[in-house]
Order: sequence, then structure tokens, then C-alpha cells
Amino acid sequence: MISCDDLAVTLPGATGPVDILRGVRLTVEKGEFVSVLGTSGSGKTTLLRVLGGLQQATGGRVSCDGADIAGPPDGVVTVFQDYAHSLLPWRTVRRNVALGIEKLDRSERDVRVDEALDMVGLRDRANEYPWRLSGGMQQRVQIARALAMRPRVLLMDEPFGALDAMTKASLQDQLQAVQELTGTTVVFVTHDVEEAVYLSDRLVVLSGSPANIGLRLDVPIARPRDQIATKERADYLELRHQVYEALGHRVGERAHG
Amino acid sequence: MGRRLNIVGAAVFVLGLGLWELVVRTGVLTFSYLPPPSDVAVGLGELFGSGELATALGHTLFAALTGWAIAAVLGVVAGSVLGLVRPVWTYAMASLEALRALPIVAFVPVAVLLYGFSVQTEIMVSCYAALWPILLNTVNGMRTEARMVESGRVLRLSPAAVLWKIRLPAATATIVVGLRLGLTTSLVLTLVAEMVGNPAGLGFLLVEKGQALQPGQMFAAVFVIGVTGIVLNGLVMGAARLAFRGQLASAGEA
Amino acid sequence: MGGTPIRGLIPLVALLVLWQVLGDPASPYFPPPSTWVDGIEPLLSGDKLLPAIGDTALTFVLGLSIATLLGALIGTLVGASRPVDRALSPSLEFLRALPAASLVPVAALVLGYTAQMKLVVVVLPAMWPILLTCRTARRSLSPVLLDTPRTLGLSRWDRVTKVLTPALLPSVLLGVRVAAPLALIITLLVEIVTRVNGLGAALGAAQSNFLSAQVYGLLTIAGVLGFVVNWVVTRAETAVSGRMRGTT
Repeated sequence: MISCDDLAVTLPGATGPVDILRGVRLTVEKGEFVSVLGTSGSGKTTLLRVLGGLQQATGGRVSCDGADIAGPPDGVVTVFQDYAHSLLPWRTVRRNVALGIEKLDRSERDVRVDEALDMVGLRDRANEYPWRLSGGMQQRVQIARALAMRPRVLLMDEPFGALDAMTKASLQDQLQAVQELTGTTVVFVTHDVEEAVYLSDRLVVLSGSPANIGLRLDVPIARPRDQIATKERADYLELRHQVYEALGHRVGERAHG
Repeated sequence: MGRRLNIVGAAVFVLGLGLWELVVRTGVLTFSYLPPPSDVAVGLGELFGSGELATALGHTLFAALTGWAIAAVLGVVAGSVLGLVRPVWTYAMASLEALRALPIVAFVPVAVLLYGFSVQTEIMVSCYAALWPILLNTVNGMRTEARMVESGRVLRLSPAAVLWKIRLPAATATIVVGLRLGLTTSLVLTLVAEMVGNPAGLGFLLVEKGQALQPGQMFAAVFVIGVTGIVLNGLVMGAARLAFRGQLASAGEA
Repeated sequence: MGGTPIRGLIPLVALLVLWQVLGDPASPYFPPPSTWVDGIEPLLSGDKLLPAIGDTALTFVLGLSIATLLGALIGTLVGASRPVDRALSPSLEFLRALPAASLVPVAALVLGYTAQMKLVVVVLPAMWPILLTCRTARRSLSPVLLDTPRTLGLSRWDRVTKVLTPALLPSVLLGVRVAAPLALIITLLVEIVTRVNGLGAALGAAQSNFLSAQVYGLLTIAGVLGFVVNWVVTRAETAVSGRMRGTT
């Protein structure tokens, strides 16, 4: 369980300090899949980085399983949008996936690496170098690397943002399957409304400046979900409608801002 | 990139000097001939006053600049021929690259052997040293973009006009870089020739003061050498910008 | 450079041949190439040549290694932090502007005519190319690459050895490629000026004794050394860069 309370973050900007987040309260229970929605620059990446211990909060409390966070907490792993720069180009896929677990002994390490690669379906590419793989595959390697750590919480920063629509859809489903299997808690940052509704148990919308949570929505759609059937369901469409409205779009009105 | 005065940087520099002064004065560092900055300043004054500095500086500059000027003419002409006339390049480049592997410094004893303790040694060394960057940069600069030369032909320009109006301006930025590099190199090698061969100039001044156990004046001489290099470099850049503003700007150098 | 036609060696070969044919063995200034081997002979039989080459090689290798370590360390530290960079830059630029040649008599006075002095004189100027490339490389490292070991919970040591060092390695080698010929030149320089030991000292001694054939012979050896250094360093850089594709 990971949470923050009355979170405030101020960062240095070009013309002085900027309040990015203020008064943010969020609790993610064990095994939940929560999406954080917001436009670019809304502070959602900052929020994720704070939860992941990569960024210090200026005010408020951030904790994981009750303990305050000061630096990347055990069992919490972040997956970045920029997979190209996150993987180590001088290591094979297998060795990249093993990067976080090299403290374990050989046999345990190999088991976990194979397991993680199976979960993302890249077992047969284990001995290749990242630059030989497509963007989608590289992102899967990064996810496998996180999974090999058997994390309690997976923080994902627009992981599919740089991929084409078809690859995105495929990876969304793979992620769903993995989460079903492992029961990992997931905090998923995105600007894609469809993606947020499709994947999550719950979603929150970050908006304003400084940013705060504007809308909290439960997504009680039955699992397992499917790219075709689920997206035609009434409850899906209703939720999607609600979110777009909260983001400022009205039926018949043109989008602005 | 902010052009604000780098106060912190300047402060650190001054602090460093202060630390140096302290460390030597309090005897923490016990090198017998390491002078504190105050002694260096005094030494600088002494050198100025006695006129030694002016004489030495003049001599070194004369030798270095003469050698460099000769190298500039030779280098640009030879480099142009090599860069423009394909057969010459084919039948000469490898020899040049082989010769280039020879460390220039190793030629100083040869020059001393041939010209003895005289200013000719210095000029020879300075010229040889400056020749390489100037020559090679000119060759590179002259092997211009085929597209640019073609436009000249399309506009029915004579070969001479193509050379003057297209090739030379295009090569200018690279040649200027070569000239700057050549100046730095010729200055350095002139100093070496003065230390090993001709007993005159700043190089010899350094050795002389070392043997006379005058570390303050010695360090002061080093400082002067450093400043001279920077000033010369700046002068060449300034002159080049004045004369060739357009060409340099297009190459991003101005 | 790989595309330079071998035929270009003709002028050089022709020059040497002409020199050999037209040269006068008794000439004090231009003895022909065949006399050079004889010129070196006394050094060989007197067991002086190989130790001299050894001294030069040792100073070169040691000096370059230390310069690489120091340059990489300082360059990475300076590149990691903009404020530190701004604070140290003016002082570093000033030190960089002092030509290596001028440092030689100074070092000889302060540190004495020793092998350690030689090392110091070589290390300081040879450090710069490596320092500069490492600084640039460190500055342009992707923040995502630097966050990755943190989120995976790697220790500080692991972060440096498993991520930072391999990422910077190609840049270090690029710097070494520039610094190596420089280090050789300065090694010879300090040997020629101070006559402490090594090939440069032998060269200087031969010149003082007007043994022109020996001078040319030693010059050729210096040339071969220079060529070997260039060749080794270029191969090393290409080999490692091949394995590290796309590291920025």
C-alpha cells in the first residue's frame, strides 16, 4: 500500500520556484490498479517520482506500507517512458533484466529472469542487444526488468506513450495479464483517457496549477477486459464520458485548452 | 549560456591562490623551490624592471611569428595544391601522413644539429611545427562540397573564378582553425628550441632562472607565456573575424 | 584516413632512396639512411638503446594511465554538477592555457631531475582531452539512465560500476585517443630538455656529440613509436565503440 497525504512539491523553474503539486492526497491499496490522468505538464510525472522516492516532497507525507519514504523504497520500482535511455545498451536483454537482482545467487537469478521474460513474451530474444529490438519490445524488456524484482508496487510513467496504437493495445493486454497473475499494485500515469479507463480499477485526474486531484472515479468493469468487447460496453462508455467531461469537454462543444 | 560574471569561479581562483600562498608560507608543503604567489608577483616586477622580460618576449615572438608566417604561406599554397589537384593528393598524402607520425619535438635536436645555436634553428622548428596543422587543415578545407563547385560551373564561372569565389571562401573557416593551431604549436616549439638550442628568448629565460635558482621569476615567466598564448590566439581570431566575417559566420565560428 | 592511397608513399620512399644514393656518408649534416643503423650500433652494443626506449615507454604508459584516471574522475565530477563546473572552470581553463613546454623547467626545479618529475609533467597536459570529453559526456547522460539504478535499488558502488562507467567509457577512450600522441610528445619533450633518461635524452646526447647518423636513427625510432601508439589507440577505440552502440 502506497500513499501520500497533503503532498506539496515545489521545483526550481526558469524564473523562480514553481509549485507543481499542492495538497495531494492519494492512497493506493494492495493489488489495486490506479491510473493518474492529466495533461502534459500537469505534474503527474512529479507525483509518480515522489511516490517512487526519486524526488523529495517539499511538504506533506509520503509513505509506503506505513513507513515514510526517503529515497527509492524497497519493493517499489519505476518504469520510465524513455525505454531507450533506461536500458543499458552494452548488456544483452537477459543481463538487462537481471540488473536489479544481481545480489541474488546464480540459480535464483536465472529463474527470476526467465520468469520475467516469459511474462512479457521475450524469452526467445534473451541474448540479443536492445538496439536490435523494436520500441515495443524494448519497453517490454524494461517491464521485465521491473518484474524480476518481484515488486510490491509498480510505478509506470506513461510507459506506452512512445509506441504506436497497435503495439500499445497489445502491451496493455500483456500488462493486464501480468497484473492478474502477480497481484502487483500498479500506479499508472497516462494522458490517454481510454487507456486509463480500460486498464484501471480506479482512476484519479490531476489538474490545476498547482496540481491537485480533481476527480476520483471507481472503474468497476468486470475483468478480464478485452480491447473490442469492453470498449463497447455501456459502463465503459459512461465512465469515459464522465472523465472527458471532468477534463473540460462538453458534448457538442469543441475542445479548448 | 549566461554571460553573467562568473563571480563564484573568480572567487574560487583567488581562493586557490590564497591557499597556495598559505600552504607554502606555513611550510606544509616542503618543496625547496616552490614559490608562493606573492614571490611570483615580485618576480614579475623584477623581470619587467630589468628589461629581461621585454627582450626575451620580443625574441620569442619574432622567432615564432616568423616561422609561423612562412608556414602559413607554404602551408596554404601546398595545401591548396594538394586539396585541389587530385593526382597530387593521391601520390603524396600517404607520405605526409607517415611523416606526421614523427613527434615534432624529436626534430628539435635535428634542427640544432643542422643550424646550431642560432635563431635560424628556432625559425626552422617553429615553421615545421606550424606547417602541419596549416597544411592539413587547408587540404581538408579545399576538398569542398561538390554541390557548391557545381553551382559555379552551372553559372559558367571560369576555374579561376570558382577557386576565388567558391573554394577559397568555403575553406576559410577550416584554414583559420589551422592557422590558430599552428600559432599555438609554433609558440610552444619555439620555446623548446630555446631551451635546448638557441640561448635566447623566453624558453631560455625559464631555464636560466631555474639554474639561477630564481623560482619567483621563473613562475612569472610561465605566467607571461600563458598570457602571450591567449593574446595571440585572440588576435588571430579577431583579425579573421574582421576579414572574413561571412565565411566564419556560416561555419558557426563567428 | 583509411582511404589514403598507398601510392602516396612514393615521394617519401623516393626521397629516402635519393638521399641514400646521392648522400655522402661522411657528411656531418645529412648522412644517408644506411649509416643510421651503424649510428645506432654503439647504443645497442652498449646496452643503452633498449633501456632508453623502455624508459620512454614506461613514462608514456604510466603517465597516460594516470592522466586517464584523473581526467575521467575530475571530468565526471565537473560534468555532474553545473555549479561545480562554473566554480572550477576559470581555474581549470587557466591551468590548461599553460603550455606543457613551459612546465618542464619549472618541474625540474621544483621536483628535481627525477623520473617522478617526468611523470608529473606528462600527466598534467595529457589530462585535459580526457577531462573535457568526460565532462561533455557526463553532462549529456540521459537522466533516465541515471534514475534507473536508483529505482532498481542498486548500491552506490553498483551505480558507478554497472551504469556510469560503461556509459562513459566510449568518451574516455575518445579522450585517450587525443591524449596518447600528446603524452608521447611530452614524454620526449621532457626527456630532450632535461636529459633525465629515455629516448629523448639519447637524442639530445647524440646531438650534443654531433653524431648525426645516430640522431637520424633515433629520430626514426621515435617515429615508429609514434606510429605504433596511434595505431593501438585507434584500434582500441574502434573496438570498444562497436560494442557500445547508442550510449547517449
